Amino acid sequence: METFAQVVLDGLLSGMVYALVAAGLCLIWGVMDVINFAHGEYLMIAMYVSYWLGFLANIDPVVSVIAAGVFIFIIGALTYLLIIRYTVGKPPLAALLATFGLAMFLKNLCLNRFSPNFLILSDTWLGGKTFQLGGLIFPAPQLAAAALALIVVGLVYLLINSTRFGWAVQATAMDREAAELMGIDTERIYILIFGIGGACVGIAGGIMPSYLAVHPEVGSLFGLIAFVCVAMGGFGSIPGAFLAGLLVGVAEALAGFYIAPVFKYIAVFGLYLAVVFLRPKGIFGW
Amino acid sequence: MSRGSRSFVRWFILAAALCLLVSPLTGAGPALAAEKIIKIGTIFPLTGPVATAGQRCQAAVQTAVEIINNKHPEIKVPLANKEGLLDGYKIVLVHADSQGKPDVGKAEAERLLNQEKVWALIGAYNSSVSKPASFVAERMKRIFMCGSSSSAALTQRDMKYFFRLAPTDATESVDFVEVLKWLNKTKKAGIKTLGVIYENSEFGKHAAEEAKKAAAAGGFKVVADVPFSPGATNLNSEVQTLKGSNPDAVFGAVLGADYSLWVKTMKQAKWLPKIVINYCSGYQDPVIAKQLGPDAEYFMGSSGYSPQFASLMPAVAPVEKIFKSKTGGVPFDGNSIQEAVAMLVLAQAIEKARSLDPDKVAKTLMENTWDSPLSLGGKVKFVKGGQNVQAKSIITQLQNGQYKRIYPEKMADAKIVFPMKPWDKR
Repeated sequence: METFAQVVLDGLLSGMVYALVAAGLCLIWGVMDVINFAHGEYLMIAMYVSYWLGFLANIDPVVSVIAAGVFIFIIGALTYLLIIRYTVGKPPLAALLATFGLAMFLKNLCLNRFSPNFLILSDTWLGGKTFQLGGLIFPAPQLAAAALALIVVGLVYLLINSTRFGWAVQATAMDREAAELMGIDTERIYILIFGIGGACVGIAGGIMPSYLAVHPEVGSLFGLIAFVCVAMGGFGSIPGAFLAGLLVGVAEALAGFYIAPVFKYIAVFGLYLAVVFLRPKGIFGW
Repeated sequence: MSRGSRSFVRWFILAAALCLLVSPLTGAGPALAAEKIIKIGTIFPLTGPVATAGQRCQAAVQTAVEIINNKHPEIKVPLANKEGLLDGYKIVLVHADSQGKPDVGKAEAERLLNQEKVWALIGAYNSSVSKPASFVAERMKRIFMCGSSSSAALTQRDMKYFFRLAPTDATESVDFVEVLKWLNKTKKAGIKTLGVIYENSEFGKHAAEEAKKAAAAGGFKVVADVPFSPGATNLNSEVQTLKGSNPDAVFGAVLGADYSLWVKTMKQAKWLPKIVINYCSGYQDPVIAKQLGPDAEYFMGSSGYSPQFASLMPAVAPVEKIFKSKTGGVPFDGNSIQEAVAMLVLAQAIEKARSLDPDKVAKTLMENTWDSPLSLGGKVKFVKGGQNVQAKSIITQLQNGQYKRIYPEKMADAKIVFPMKPWDKR
């Protein structure tokens, strides 16, 4: 029973990080109908920001998570201003291909600048630390990442559902032209949404060097799993993405332990296929 | 004419003009041939999770070529004392990136042989890449020198043009089991059970098969068989599976960034077996060992070289100086040095055969025993299938950041720390 609880706990902790990564992607899709293929690369860049701040200025990821979030907010906003803006009103494939190109650009830029070598940040505040509660072991870095995920996803949810800005975002998502007629600056909304979506994944990436090696390929699988979470949760639904993130994390952990470790991603993508087959709009989709 | 058709015609004219402009350059092939060069293709994972290792392997081949092409009287390896091969031929390397993926490696092998017209190939670090890439070379009757891929299956294919320098995972598995027996005998270690963790690739799967065979022959029971997907986001369930079975010893075939994640996850799970021995993996990577700091300590693995072997291999130092200039000061490791040996042995064979006929050179490679001061055994001798039967390795343990020689005892320079010190007592 203790082992089962530990496996579920590990799954929930991983799942919350997946949820945070997915929340940003979900926000961008929900408001703008744009699938950001560069989302995994945003995560990778945030990890580099956190790593280099730790390596050069001795700033711990717990602190540099803020810098990583702000940096990716700016990158997100710039992505809209320099790329996505020119694809609005064009076929949906245009934005998709543009972000795919951006993903390739960012990955190769990092390969060129930082080399493909993986970098490990030593002596972080949380690195290697654990808390024990009964028989359960809580790894400190993953616990911090999960707590951050919970806070950030909660804040984003409140921002979208309980503020004037959020109502403006929802209005823009429903009908851009009508929102403009009501006096909403939809261009500003788009810039901020891309920025906030980026900040979510930036915060996730900022804390990760506490326990994960940084290299140019590190974001790829996280990006893919984020797509699965968004599709499972229902495109545009933040609670859906959060729940899907947790489901993916727990399914991965249980399948990995009780079936076979190589089965864990099969379980994740199998679950995704099952949900999409039974409920094509996702769990919370409409 | 419609706008679309006009645009097409414009692009067609531009493309044709470019072809005309480029065509004189394609005539450079025969001109280069007249310059007496031997083109050798290298295939290594220059990007992806094991890129660090791949880049070092490439730097090792470059180091060997620098020694072959130029006069280095201070270096005591064959061909260092003269310039080039066959009275004036120089080696030119053409590099390719496999990304650690078999399909990419195979495509790159085809490109190098068909388009770049390389004379032979060296690579490919990942056994899963070496396998299809060497099939391409064999089909085209071109030599494939394999420095560090360790899957025993590679030399069980009875190929004519494939030559592998490194010890295989079959011999390594037997060595690992011998270490366990030695510990049971000399330290009353009480090792009875074994866990195997490995990446789900050609290399990992084959290493695990050999580990299980060797364990059964040595009387050890395999209680945990844990494959994992390379580049995973976490290794929690893998480590929980090991912890659940709690084997006395673990054999690992875990490369690159996955190795550091595995070590860190075991620390988080507060679990360690009595002993961990690694195949060619992240363990042998001095950069990972440095970055993991105390967490890397007391793990063990086999190695054909580490800087701590310098007293056994005095010829390495001046060669390593050139190598370090290409790697930002990182020394040779057990894998990269094998790639340098692969290039040097191939060059010796070309020189001895006095020919650039691949058949003659392959025959010469097979029929002779080669001096190799960069190898632990000092010699290289290939047998049917292409395996170097003189390949040797030493079991080392990381102690205070250094790879200490532990087994065989006659080559040891330190005593083993057994069992591994628990995480909270480091």
